[in-house]
This record gives sequence, C-alpha cells and structure tokens, in this order.
Amino acid sequence: MPRFRTSYLVAASLAFFLLIFLVVPVGKVIYVAFQDSSTGAFTLVNFVDFFKTSLFRESFFNSLYVAGMSVLGATIFAVPLAYFTTRFNFGGSILIQTLGIIPLIMPPFVGAVAMQLFFGTNGSVNLLLDQWFGINIPFMKGLNGVILVESIHYFPFILINLSAALNNIDRSMEEAAQNLGSSGMSLFRKIVFPLAMPGYLAGAALVFLKAFDDLGTPLLLNVNNMLAPQAYLRITSIGISDPMGYVISVILVVFSLFALWGSMLASKGKDYSGGGKGTSGLLKRDLHGWEKFGAYCLVIFLLLLVLSPHISLVLLSLGTIWSYSVLPDGYTFAHYAEVFGTTREYITNTLLYAGLAAGFDVVFSVAIAYIVLRTKVIGRQWLDYIATGALAIPGVVLGIGYLRTFNDFNVPIIDKPLASWWVIIVIALAIRRLPYALRACVAALHQVSISLEEASENLGAGKTTTVRKITVPLMAGGIVAGFVTSFATAAVELSATLMLVTSESDAPLAYGIYVFMQSASGRGPGAALGLIAVVVVAVGSYLAHHFIERNKRMQMSATGN
Amino acid sequence: MSLVSRVKAVRLRIEDLHISFGSTKVLEGINLEIEPGEFFAFLGPSGSGKSTLLRAIAGFGPDPQGKIRIDDEDIGGLPPWKRNVGMVFQNYALWPHLSVEKNVAFGLEEQKMAKAEIGERVKEALDLVGLYHLVNRHPSQLSGGQQQRIALARTIVTRPRLLLLDEPLSNLDANLRVQMRTDILKLQRALGMTTIFVTHDQEEANTISDRMAVLDKGIIQQVGSPLDLYDNPVNRFVAHFLGTTNMIEGEVVSSDGKTCFIGKEGIEIPLDNSLDGNHGVVVFRPQSIQINTKIVDDSAVNLDGVVDSLEFLGSVVRYSVRVGDSNILVDQDHQRGKKIFEEKEAVVLAIQAQQLFFIRE
Amino acid sequence: MVFSGCSRVMLSRLALSAGLLTFLALPAQALENQLTVVTSFPKDLTNEFKQAFEKKYPDIKVEMLKKKTTAGVKYIQETVSNNTSDLFWASAPDAFEVLKEDGLLEKYTVKATGIPDVVGSYPINDPDGYYKGFAASGYGMMWNTRYLKAKKIPAPKEWNDLAKAVYHGHTGMSAPSRSGTTHLTVETILQGENWDNGWKLMKEIAGNFSTVTERSFGVPDGVNSGQFGVGIVIDFFGLSSQASGFPVEFIYPTVTTLVPANIAIIKNSPHPEAAAAFIEYLLSEEGQVMLLDPKIRRLPVRPETYSQAPDDFPNPFTDQSIGAKVQFDVLKSKSRYNLVNAMFDVMITYRLDDLRKATKAVQDAEEAMGDKNNAQAAALIAEAKALIAQLPIDEAQSLDKDFAGIFKKKRKKATDKVTGRQAEVEQKWDAMVKKNYAKATELAKKAKAML
Repeated sequence: MPRFRTSYLVAASLAFFLLIFLVVPVGKVIYVAFQDSSTGAFTLVNFVDFFKTSLFRESFFNSLYVAGMSVLGATIFAVPLAYFTTRFNFGGSILIQTLGIIPLIMPPFVGAVAMQLFFGTNGSVNLLLDQWFGINIPFMKGLNGVILVESIHYFPFILINLSAALNNIDRSMEEAAQNLGSSGMSLFRKIVFPLAMPGYLAGAALVFLKAFDDLGTPLLLNVNNMLAPQAYLRITSIGISDPMGYVISVILVVFSLFALWGSMLASKGKDYSGGGKGTSGLLKRDLHGWEKFGAYCLVIFLLLLVLSPHISLVLLSLGTIWSYSVLPDGYTFAHYAEVFGTTREYITNTLLYAGLAAGFDVVFSVAIAYIVLRTKVIGRQWLDYIATGALAIPGVVLGIGYLRTFNDFNVPIIDKPLASWWVIIVIALAIRRLPYALRACVAALHQVSISLEEASENLGAGKTTTVRKITVPLMAGGIVAGFVTSFATAAVELSATLMLVTSESDAPLAYGIYVFMQSASGRGPGAALGLIAVVVVAVGSYLAHHFIERNKRMQMSATGN
Repeated sequence: MSLVSRVKAVRLRIEDLHISFGSTKVLEGINLEIEPGEFFAFLGPSGSGKSTLLRAIAGFGPDPQGKIRIDDEDIGGLPPWKRNVGMVFQNYALWPHLSVEKNVAFGLEEQKMAKAEIGERVKEALDLVGLYHLVNRHPSQLSGGQQQRIALARTIVTRPRLLLLDEPLSNLDANLRVQMRTDILKLQRALGMTTIFVTHDQEEANTISDRMAVLDKGIIQQVGSPLDLYDNPVNRFVAHFLGTTNMIEGEVVSSDGKTCFIGKEGIEIPLDNSLDGNHGVVVFRPQSIQINTKIVDDSAVNLDGVVDSLEFLGSVVRYSVRVGDSNILVDQDHQRGKKIFEEKEAVVLAIQAQQLFFIRE
Repeated sequence: MVFSGCSRVMLSRLALSAGLLTFLALPAQALENQLTVVTSFPKDLTNEFKQAFEKKYPDIKVEMLKKKTTAGVKYIQETVSNNTSDLFWASAPDAFEVLKEDGLLEKYTVKATGIPDVVGSYPINDPDGYYKGFAASGYGMMWNTRYLKAKKIPAPKEWNDLAKAVYHGHTGMSAPSRSGTTHLTVETILQGENWDNGWKLMKEIAGNFSTVTERSFGVPDGVNSGQFGVGIVIDFFGLSSQASGFPVEFIYPTVTTLVPANIAIIKNSPHPEAAAAFIEYLLSEEGQVMLLDPKIRRLPVRPETYSQAPDDFPNPFTDQSIGAKVQFDVLKSKSRYNLVNAMFDVMITYRLDDLRKATKAVQDAEEAMGDKNNAQAAALIAEAKALIAQLPIDEAQSLDKDFAGIFKKKRKKATDKVTGRQAEVEQKWDAMVKKNYAKATELAKKAKAML
C-alpha cells in the first residue's frame, strides 16, 4: 500500500512542522494558564477564576457579539458586490473585485488614525454632519466602532470566497429556477445563496474568528472590554505576569476551534460541486435602465464605504496638517520624499517575507486540505484544527514563544540563533496567516468533484500525478484567493514581527510604519509608508493573481485542444 | 387526472431572429413556425446554434433581435421567469440542496400555489414519471435516468405553454436512451404540449419528431418532416447530416439534345434537361445502388469501378468502390449465401435515375 | 558620583573583561565594531545619536533596534541565553527595574562627572548602579486649539481643572499599566496628595476621559487629530507635536512631575566596550547638548548644558516648580508598582463607561444645584461622590508586602508562597467598583430630580 504510506508520511511531516512551530512555542508560553501561581502545580483554578470574573464574562459576550455583528456587516458589504460582479455584465467587475481586497491591507497604526480622522467623533463625516444637521453619530465609539472596522476590514474574506463559489455554480442551476418562474431575491435566497453556501461559510467563519480574536482593532479604538485586548494587556504589561492573559488566550483558541467545528458541521453535506458536467462559467446578464442605475449606486456606495480608510490614508499621506477639520489644511509631497530613501529595503523585505510566507501557506494548505478531505488518515481533522487555531494566537504570544524556543538553537553555517535569523519572521508570518489560505483551499477542494480525480486515476495517473495535474489546477481559484489573502495580510502584520526583528536591515514595512508613527512629525511619512505598503501589496497580489490565472488559462487551453 | 388532461397547445412563431455573442454572430435570420401540439426537433452539429436558439426561446442568453411569438403574444422582451416556457436542461440541473419533492414543488411555490394543491400536483407529476417513491431523496442519491425523469417532472408540473428539451438524452446510456425516447414521446402525446427537442443525433430526431429544423453555422438549413429531409435535402450539409451519402460535384451540360451531368471524376450521369448550365452536386444514398460484376440494367446509370475495401455492418455490407478519382459507398443487403465482392474486383454500379438527386449550388 | 570608588571601577572592569572573554569564545564575530541598542525612542532621537556617535567612533556601527518598551523587555528576557543586544535605552524606569530584578542588566559606573544625584525630586540613577538617567521629561497637558475653540472650552492650567464638568468627554490619558511614565505621574499624584485624595482626584479627572489609550503615544495622536481635546502627556510629545505644525499647545501645571529617561548595559553584552562608550557619550557635554534639539527636546541631566538652551527652555535645576514639590519615594513606588497599575485598570480603564456615567450624573446634579440650598440633595451628591471615590484597599494594605506580592511578576522559587490570585482580588474590586458607580449614578440622578 504505497499510497497509504505516502499520505501518512505527508500528514506526519505536516503535523511535525505544526508541532515545532506552533504547538511547542505557544505551549511554552501559555502553560502558565494551567499553573497554580503559588505552587507551580497543574491546576484549572485559573479557568474557574475566568468564569467567576464579571469583567471576563462581559468581555466574552462582547467579543461574541462583535464577532456575530461583524459577520452580519461583512455579509451586507460583500454579498451585493459578489453577486453583481459575478452575475451581471458590470463595467469594472475586475476593478471592483480587486478593490474589494484592499480593505484587508490595513497598515498598522496609520489605518486606525485614518479611520478616526474620517469617522471619529470629530472626524470628517461627523464634522460635516454637525455642520449640516447638528448631529453626531458615534460610528467609532465602543463596540460599534469595533464592529464597523472589523466589518470593513474583513469583509473581503466573504467577498473572495463567495465570488469564487458563485462562479463555480453551474449556470443551469439558476436558469432552471428562472425557467420555473423564480427571479430576484427569491432566486437568490432559495437557489443561488444555498448553492454558494460552502464558500460563504468559509468566508463568514474567517470573519467571525478574526473579529473574535482580533486584537489590533479594539486596541486602536481603546476598547478594552473584549477578550483579545484583555489577554494582550495582561500579557504585555511590564512586570505583571498575570496568568489570566494566558488563560484568555487558551479560551480564545478553544472557542475559535469550536466555532470552526460548528462551521464545518454546517457545511457538511453541502458539497455542491458542479461535477464537471454542464455549463459552469456563467453567462452574465445585462442590466437595464433603473436596474443598472440602482446597482451602480449601491456598488459605488459600498466601495466608497469600504475604501474610506484608504481614501483617508491617501489624504493623510498628502496632507500637511490634518486636525479637527474635514480635510487637511494643505497638500504636499514632502512625506513621500522623506520616506523615499528608507523604503527600498523595507519593500524588498516585505515582498520577500510575505511572498515566501504566502507561498508556503498555499502549499501547506493544499496538503492539509487534501489530507483532510481525500484521505482516511487517522486524526486528519486535527491538522486542520491546529493550523486554524493559529488564528486565535496573539502575535505577541507567538513572538515570545519563538524567542523562547529558538533562541538557543543556532542555525548551522550562518551560526546565528534561529530566533534572530530573518527566516523566523517568515515562519511566524506563515503560521499566523496559514488559517486564511487553509480555509480558502479547503473550500476550493470541497468544490472539486472527486470523480474528476477518479477519472485521472482511472487513466493510470498515480495519486501524486493526479494531485499535481488535476486537483491543484482545479483548485486554482481557491489557491489564488488563499495566496492573496495570506500575502496581503502578512505584509502588514506587526505584532509578531515587532518581537522578532533583530536588525533594521531585516525589517519589513510594518516595522517602518511603527518607527514613524511614534512621533508627531512621523504621522505623514508613516501614512505615506502605509500607502506604499498598500500599493505594493495590491500590485503584488494582482500580479500573483494574474500569473496564476494565466497559467490556469494556458493549462485549460492546452487540455482543450 | 388533471395533469394528463391535455393542455391548450400553442403555436410558436420565430421571426427574423438574430443573436450575436459580442461580435460573433451565432444565429442569423431565423424564421420558424411550430404548430400547436407538434413535437419539433432542432438538429445540428455542436456549434450550430441549436441550443442557443432553444435558450433564446426560454429567455436565456444574449438579447436577440427579432420576434418570438407564442400564439399572438410576443415573448421576446420578457425575462425568463415570466415566459411560462418549461425547459429541461442537458445536465438536468436538479438543485442538490433540495429534496426531490422540493425540487418538483419549486415552480409551484413560485406561483404561490396553496400547499395542499402543491402536494397533489407534485404527486401527480412524480407518478407520471413513475418515481413517486423517491420523493424524499436528494438528487445526489439518484441515478442518471432517475434524475432525468425528476427534471422532466419538475418542468411539466407547472404546465408550461411550451416544453423545451435540451439534449435530454445525451447523458444516458444507449439502452436507457431508447427507453426514455419512447417515454418522452408518450408523455408529449398524452399532454399535447408543443415540444421542442434539441439533439445532434439524427436518429433521435428522426424517431421522435414530427418535424425538424436542421441548423448549421447559425442558419436554419431546412425544415421538414424527417422523411422529407432525408429524401430531399436542399444542400450538401443536410444531405450529409441526415445519413451516409455519396456526393459527386460537377456541371450540367447539354449537347446533342441530351443533358448530362459531368462529374469532376469523369462520371457522366444523364439528367433532366431543365437543369442545363448548372453547377452542383449529385447526391445518392449507398443503399440505392446495385453492385454487379457486369451491366444488368441498361436503363439505370451504370458506373464502372473497382472495389477498394469492404465492411460488414450486420444487415448490410458496405463497399467502397473506386470510380474515376472518387470513392462511392455502396450498401448491399446481406443474406446468407449472397455473393461478397472482393477487394480489387472490377464491378459495375447501377443507380436508378430517380434515386439521383441534383443539388444546384 | 558618591560611590564611584576605585574598587567599584575595578570590579566592573573585571565583569566587563569576563563578558569580553565569553564573547571572544564565540567564532566568526568581529571585535567591538558593532553596537546593538534595543530602544523605544523615536527615530528623531535615535538617528541623531546614532549618527553623532558613529562619527565620533567611525569603527563602530550602531544598530538601533526599535521595540515598544514592553516588547523590548520581553525580547531581552527571552534572548538572554544567546544575547546579541548591548544596550537597553528607554524612558520607563519600571522596565529597567524588571530587567534588573531578572538579573539581565550589567552594573556600570559612569566615568563622566558633574551630574547631580537628583533632578527635581527624582533620583537620576538607579541607586544599585544598574541603569543611568541621561535625560528627564516633565508631565503636563496638551490641547488642540481648534477643538477647544469649536467646543468653546477654556484651556486648562492645573491638574484640578481637568476634573471640571466643562471637560467632560474631552480629555484622554494613557493607562499606567501601559506606560511607565504615566505610572510615575499617577504615583506622584498619589504621593503628593496622599493615597485617598490622590485617587479621588485621579478618578475625578478620569471621569471626564473620552478614552484611556493603549499606547502612551495614543494621547498626543488623539489630540493632534482632534479625537479629543486635552491630553495628559509627557512634555516632548506636546512640544514636538507643536513643532510639527499641529494646532496644539502644551503647558506644565504649577506642580508637575519629572520622569527620567534611562540607559543600561545588558548582561553578557557582546560589545561591552562600545556600550560603555555610548553611555559616556550620552552623558558627555556633547551628548547632552543634543537633547536640546527641538525635535528631541529632553531635559538634560547635566546642569551646565542649560546655558546653551533657548530662553524658554525649562530648567529643573533652577525652576523649583518642576517636579520639586513632591519628595518622591522610590521604594514606596516600587513596592506597589503593579498594584497601583491593577487598581487603575480595574477602577478606571476597564470601567471607564460606568465611571463616566457616574461622573456625568454627579456633574449634572451639581449644576442643577448651583447656588440652591437643598440639604437633602447635597447629601445625596456628597454620598455619590464618596461612592465614586471609595477605594477597595487603603494605603497601608497597598504597602503590605504580601498583598502586593499577589501582583508580582513571578515566583522566585517554587517554595515562595503567595496567598490569593490576582484574578480573585481583581474580581472583588471590580464587583465593588461596578456597584459603587451604579449606585452613585442612581443617587446623583435622584438628587437632580429633587432640584
């Protein structure tokens, strides 16, 4: 049984990697959660404390509420965009799909400043509202603010996955319904959406998990009554080693896995792969008159809304002084001039790290998705769970874990601790962004009919050849989605990076932004650097997309002849 | 039973229909009239536009120019969901997330029919295709033939004005295909619904349809009954597509009061003198040729040739006979003990004049 | 320096050469041609010193590794076994204390002379000789002029002003648990006003907060962008914002606190000589003058440097209003460091909404009261204020070693017995605080209804 052995071998090496770079380092940090602070013995008393503490209970429900509402918000943003661009002849569909990914690339610090300047209590929108109507809408206050930002920030997860799923639905499925008198919302609700459910769930699960575990947004909005910031504040306070921080981390991980498991249950048996027969590749419909006008208005409104942080970032990077006013006082290119000299190294490092990390994530995700969905390896589900659990690990915990685990391990040849070699940053990014790619790849493999692989095996191709020549090309859409999300988000990741950067020459853009955003005069240059990060990542993602799509087309046309 | 009671049959008229995908013209100048209650086939090779035409009737695909009328109503501008034109898709398009019952009930629910009535109608429709016992299954649990019948039931349960079938048999195995063909025809006759059937298989079209339209390159080549098209094709394409045929290209010339077709290969065939001066092809079917070692019948057109190869097809033996520069196929009924000509054997082919059909080009 | 005796120098030299020896044992690394500084200071400051130092010592290449103070401490803690950093350079003395307690700092005796022991009332150097103060900064208030003008709010002058109703929802500060310098400010208030009154003032001010920021830079950032109007910040944040062109102003209140900025050599530093050279440079005339640069703007610890400063530059050695009022008790501060932070978070940071609501209710009631004479309402208001001000523990308990130990970093030995867990204690406090704030809100509303 060589096939059997190969899959076990692959599964074992995946498990080993996850063990070394995720489980052990994180375990080394969070074991404190299970330690009695007076005796050092194993105990669960800290968890009892957690549930006894009203602040934590409150935080738990706040996190849950925010995550749920963020999914709702993200759905509202994503569904029309995905539906219009995949179902109608819509000028700029590709542009919309590309722009739709940009909110994921929210550079640290500057993104939040930009949001505040736009939507804050005294931001542009509220200043105008106050001027015109004498009202002030607290978009950014408390949990509302977190929900708004999370919805905008993470809705691309749903957009990407839902669009892929919508594109994969056999055209005749909808036509059959139309033929039987169904149209509009009823058609969408009864046929289109249920058929796209696996893709939607994959995206929604990510939004939920991310909003639940996200640290950056609540911190930047100074919202403390949520789990992730509670954990972070307790872990990073100097001098305090309150085990509760780690207890919360454990709870975040456990709950995330639970939510993931729930989403898997929900999508079970909803494997609606087209099966290769029939007509996939949809014929798009034309829009007429008011329909068209309405659709464009909606899409433009949504785009403006989700891109508002970036629009504001552009203003910030070009503005002289922007303080308590609708727009900056004046405009200048000086900030770009200031960062220009220092950015080249940051950019190359960012592209290198994020590119390697995302490439690694994609390979890893395909392997895990395949093991989980196509083999009978015992315990295969755990590969998925553990890899996805990385989502809930605060970057700083992973960073500390790496320092603790790998500082004593000297890499041969370069003779440097692994913890201070730049490769460790790549590994950290890869581990942190693995869940994104993994969800996309699992969803993609769900949509590949197993009969297509069987056909290949039937024609004498071995498992490996089949995976390489049939499965992977058919998953291309999901792989691209996974690569782009991992790449884009890895490029602006800060928390683990900040812990692991050991010399300025190894530092990525996010570190550069951090350095600028520490002083008042650095806000403009920081925004300029942030915008450069966005552009670099957007171009990088686009090229990756383009490259993979072209390869796919070439393969398609080659097999077509 | 209410379903089995005949629906009011409608007349479908298509007037000067044009469809293009971007700059590519897919259908051009389609004019067609389908009689109430008729079982009509669109026959053509893939890429001929037959499916596009069917889909245009259902309202799918790019907006066509021209008119599509059901009785006197122009349905051309209506969206698919307002046409009340039933269509069965090639891949059946059963919704995997809905049970058989829900699939079949879908159209009725869209019509906001009362629950009780929906239940009744679903049962009737499923009984009609003999699959009521599968009512709670999901499509993934059904065989291809069962899916086909469910798809059919799902469509007819709404009593559409037209029934459109897009290559409904192409995904079935050979035996099932013959069976389904008969069943569909029976059902159509029982319901009396005007029906259009798309296929690329001429045998299927011949056996099932009252009339058919042969399409090629986006143009209707010929419309008529299967027999009529077989015997009187208007062009080479139709002649070829409806069955194996011999075709010789050449000119019709008159000399000495006799009119003769002179083939490029040097074949001479006497023809009716009204065709004088035309260029075209002479068409004749393999089974209308007699093969002998010598001339048997002087009144026939006799051609000398040499057997090139032969195939035994069961009921007939097919010879490929070299005449001049071209090969002519000859089908000879086979019976026990009948002489089989050998390769390289010199033969004479005899064709009765009325079997020869000249197509002017 | 008082204790810069000969033997001390000898000892530290020995320690240095020991470090050097272990360092030499490592292969493939060049000698003292490099210096790695882990720092939380902004680029404006680090770049200047890096360039000046490299100019003076052309052989040494300086690597400025920028990390948040918290991240820097963790970084040094976690890389101890294979240390590659030489210096830790940051503001917060508490960060240095933590490293010192973990034995991660190297003792060093400064050769430079002429630096006094205290600036204001705060000792410049670690009495144990591990870290050195090289500059000081004062706390004050910055405000956004456009904001105050638009909202018609007067500019504040003293800390007490920030407790006034007119500032409700318009101020911001960082949490002491997030920022060592903020902690010093809180502790100074607690020592200056005494425990009970200090917390009372702190809560009155905090009741007006629009937000408690996670980073200390979040405060100037918020004021600069007009998110809130007034921020309690360290002077260089305010003044550098102003210098960058933001419509903001900064003042020191009459009573301000001074916080030092420090530097220390990390244990087993791979380049101890370069590290020592950097410290000496920092404390030299030349290095101190650089602090006067408007982009850096820290108060030098060398008194004679002020002669080169611009006229309006505050001089803590001559101006008695800066940091002089309070006799800062370092030991007291140290013993209850984490406890004060935890109290602030439980009473203010995590319950800001409740505190704000209660404060607002009290302010409304007081406004309704005006000059009216309503003893019953006045009693209710007083009761509400007392409830808000009530503390879960008194000063004596805050100084109780065992109790403070609950909040301690970690057990030194497995046998160290700690009674109670932080989470347990905090839950008790939280329950009390939440109840008090709710009750205070209710009482104040009742009082208002009577007026």
